[in-house]
Amino acid sequence: MSTTAATEALPAAVAADRRRARRTANRRRRLTVLAFLSPWLVGFTVFFGYPLVMSAWLSLHSYDLLTPARWVGLANYRYMFGDDPQIWPAVSNTLWLIAVSVPATVLFAFGIAMLLTRARTGAGVFRTVFYLPALVPPVAATLGFVYLLNPSTGPVNVILGRLGIEGPLWFNDPGWSKPSLVMLGLWGVGTTMIIFLAAILDVPRHLYESAELDGANALQRLRWVTLPTISPVILFAVVLGVIASLQYFTQAHVAASVAAGSATQGGSTSNIEIGYPEGSTLFYPILVYNHGFRYFNMGYASAMAMLLLVVAFAVTAIIIWNSRRVVHYQGDAR
Amino acid sequence: MRRKAAIVVALVGLVLAAAIGAAGSPAASERATVTNLTIWVGWSARELNEFKKVVAEYDTKKADVSVKVVGSINDDKITAALRSGNVPDVVSSFTSQNVGVYCPSGGWIDLAPYLKRDKINTNIFPATTRYYTQYGGTRCALPLLADAYGFYYNKQLFKKAGLTRPPRTLEELTAYAKKLTTRKADGSLDVVGYDPFIGFYQNSIGAYQPLVGAKYFDPAGRSSLSKDPAWQRLLRWQKSLVDYYGHDKLVKWQTGAGDEWSAPHAFGRGKLAMMIDGEWRVAFLAADHKGLSYGTAPMPVGNKSLYGAGYINGTIIGIPKGGENQDLAWDLVKYLTTNTHALASFSNGIRNVPSTAAAAKSTELKPDPNFAAFTNIFVHPKSATIPVTPLGSAHLETFTSFLAKWQAGKVKDLRAGLAEVDKQIDAKLKQSGGGVP
Amino acid sequence: MTSAVAHAERATRASGLPRAVRRRRLLVSIADHSLLIAAAIAFVAPVVFVVLTSLMTNRQALSADLWPQPFRWQNFVDVFRDAPLWHWALNSFLYATLATVGLLVSSIPIAYAFACLRWRGREVAFMVVLIALMLPPQVTVVPLYVMWAKLGLVGDLWPLIIPNWFGDAFAIFLLRQFFLTIPSEYLDAARVDGCGELRVLTRVVVRMGKPAIAAVALFSVLYTWNDYFLPLLYLSENPANWVTSIGLSQFRSLHQVQWNLTMAATVLVMLPVIVVFFLAQKAFVEGVTLTGVKG
Repeated sequence: MSTTAATEALPAAVAADRRRARRTANRRRRLTVLAFLSPWLVGFTVFFGYPLVMSAWLSLHSYDLLTPARWVGLANYRYMFGDDPQIWPAVSNTLWLIAVSVPATVLFAFGIAMLLTRARTGAGVFRTVFYLPALVPPVAATLGFVYLLNPSTGPVNVILGRLGIEGPLWFNDPGWSKPSLVMLGLWGVGTTMIIFLAAILDVPRHLYESAELDGANALQRLRWVTLPTISPVILFAVVLGVIASLQYFTQAHVAASVAAGSATQGGSTSNIEIGYPEGSTLFYPILVYNHGFRYFNMGYASAMAMLLLVVAFAVTAIIIWNSRRVVHYQGDAR
Repeated sequence: MRRKAAIVVALVGLVLAAAIGAAGSPAASERATVTNLTIWVGWSARELNEFKKVVAEYDTKKADVSVKVVGSINDDKITAALRSGNVPDVVSSFTSQNVGVYCPSGGWIDLAPYLKRDKINTNIFPATTRYYTQYGGTRCALPLLADAYGFYYNKQLFKKAGLTRPPRTLEELTAYAKKLTTRKADGSLDVVGYDPFIGFYQNSIGAYQPLVGAKYFDPAGRSSLSKDPAWQRLLRWQKSLVDYYGHDKLVKWQTGAGDEWSAPHAFGRGKLAMMIDGEWRVAFLAADHKGLSYGTAPMPVGNKSLYGAGYINGTIIGIPKGGENQDLAWDLVKYLTTNTHALASFSNGIRNVPSTAAAAKSTELKPDPNFAAFTNIFVHPKSATIPVTPLGSAHLETFTSFLAKWQAGKVKDLRAGLAEVDKQIDAKLKQSGGGVP
Repeated sequence: MTSAVAHAERATRASGLPRAVRRRRLLVSIADHSLLIAAAIAFVAPVVFVVLTSLMTNRQALSADLWPQPFRWQNFVDVFRDAPLWHWALNSFLYATLATVGLLVSSIPIAYAFACLRWRGREVAFMVVLIALMLPPQVTVVPLYVMWAKLGLVGDLWPLIIPNWFGDAFAIFLLRQFFLTIPSEYLDAARVDGCGELRVLTRVVVRMGKPAIAAVALFSVLYTWNDYFLPLLYLSENPANWVTSIGLSQFRSLHQVQWNLTMAATVLVMLPVIVVFFLAQKAFVEGVTLTGVKG
């Protein structure tokens, strides 16, 4: 029947037309996506992919940027895991930082945020006071703290002395230098605190009310309502804290050189002690920097970088994996 | 929306223009015949001004060259510049042992062709300065004035304590130090007789080594810190004095001691009775503490036969690879290192030891009773400098890290600890592929 | 303090609760406020001492004195004479502006592609972006330095600025999270009206995403102004291009550790950020809140 054939042919032609139109639309859409993503594609390759591969390649060579790279196989790794006396202090100091400063800053930020939610008067002023130090440039803040905590003339020890307490040597004492750095970190906790503040204020009222009806006291409400509800934010803060600890450089670098009083003129630079005092502020990124850009052992620095990569992945993966058990998402995202 | 975009674009354009302008060319000279040379030195403030005076004289003599002096340079900046390719025309350093790094790699060019062309015999330089300006057969640096380390003592405090002459042995030094130390009511240190803390002012292990004649490396080129007993003798003496004061009390006093290069220097203020320092301190004291009554002498030693010796070193100067005006740079280097008038006037200015025989005898030198002690130390046969290795100063850093723990009392077995340091230094040497020449 | 107590008292009385509970609530409120005040004092004290020291003479700064006597305002003039603070600030400004502009121009379209366009491999690619976020910069810094050195750009600000023109992982992450909250009706309406994706982006998404974009811009400016590691790496041997962070840390060794001047320089470096904060307070706090909630 010509009409049925015609009517069958028509939809087929239209369908073919539609398919062609969809293909061109698809191609155009793919091109658009490509265009939008192009900076990222280039950037990712040049500033991320290429350096990662090069790092791995360099770690098997000895390279100082003046003479051509020399193949050494696994010698860098052997030195790192065997003979380098500074590797273990660097690793343990960084791990200490993760274990101590991350919980300290999260707890402190949370505590201040909780206090702020309960205070009615002057919350705005308090918020400003606690947030402002987070904006201070890290170098300035570190210089300020090293001066403040100067064991003999710094205001802190002077005031403690007037109260009859012999203040510790702070940045000049290997046992106190890392806690001093943590104190410096706590001073700058403002950003995390504001995030917690917003999250705590965001907890739906009705959850508290139903908990109260069930007879929960303040502490129980905290444990069973507040904490679970803001647990994604806590996880966020913890992950950010761990990432920051794995890259911790500026404050330790500045504090060590200022506290050591290493002036750089007249005397020979063999007086420089990295990680002053006694290697207590030698963190992993600082050691990488020293090997790569002071001694120019770029091959060895790359080997250290590879280890850092593995550890960064492992630690973040562990946290995120374990977070599934304790983090509750309210109305999951798409 | 469009207006906002236009504003943003205009702003970006403005900023870009400023950036290109700022990052762009330095002030280029109008007259094409004048070449701009840049020289990097480690001096700053007053000493830098003295150096600039010497360079200014060179500038007036040479109309076709204009020299720009950049101060406060340290070796980290030099190493970074060599790698990045942004090098000055002439560079100088206070860390002479780094020639072990600069010469073999070609970072500082070999000066032998220039020396031969201009018929300069390196014998005009004292033996030790010749040693620390070359490595592995390549001479990539020349000495620009030299340093000798000696003993400074406060004559007024001596008189008060009834001491008539400077100490000559380490044991005497300890006894004097105890006599001259005073404490405050709360037990903290007020005036320190002698601060032996490694890392304080010029107390470096390199400065102490010639006092006991200890050897860094054995004839085979291996680190011998644990094998030479002189090291242990030195370190035990040092620690016993640190313990007398109390390690933490000393650290606390040091943080209020006043920076080494500024006016509140502890020795200048009378808070430190005796110290080891370089000969340049004479100029600093003349500038900042004119009224101070002090004397100089060789450092007390561990072995009487070594008295009069001391640690010597000096500023080295060279031409980095990749500079554009190497011939003109060499002219400047030659003037600074061999011209007797330049050396003598600079020596007067910053009170460093002249680095050529002719300059040492120059009549232009202004005599100074306190400075005289250092010229003697400089020429003493037992005076020594740090051995040059491909590690530069890396092995000293390893040793110094160990010493920080030692003087804090964290090392139980000194010989074993030193053996460990030996092992680390040997491993580092192996990694860099070299030994002591 | 007393007004706060009175306020709290009134509140508890108005709540009509039994006296014992009211008293306990009052005590708790006082305790809360006391803790806050103590913490606030501890937070403000460092700044106070730094400012006080910046007004002392050099000798007094080294002593145990806590109060300047006399007040040496001259220090702030001396700092400018001793160190090219303006020049450093200009370099910091250049770095911050150029980097932020580039970051926005490149990251907004990228985030849009991740949030509002559908394409194969989108989720995997986003995972990759997140991975890049977690990486410490020290992992890639050595080969990057070698690359810039071979290009002869070490010593200039370009190695710091250029990477920002190719998208920044944190900005992409934040913007994508925010763009996801834009109801798709708006986007579809624009598409139906005949807008190409670029128009949808500029007409709809950018307009609605202003808070997030402002937050990202603010963070980028803050981060680049405070950056120390990258400038240390690339600029340290070229004082002409120093930014404030490097300049301040080197100030000590340039000027023989005069603590009073160093503290004065520190105060001056802290000032711009604090001024900007007071001018743009709302934007700051909103921006920070945004990162936390969407993060």
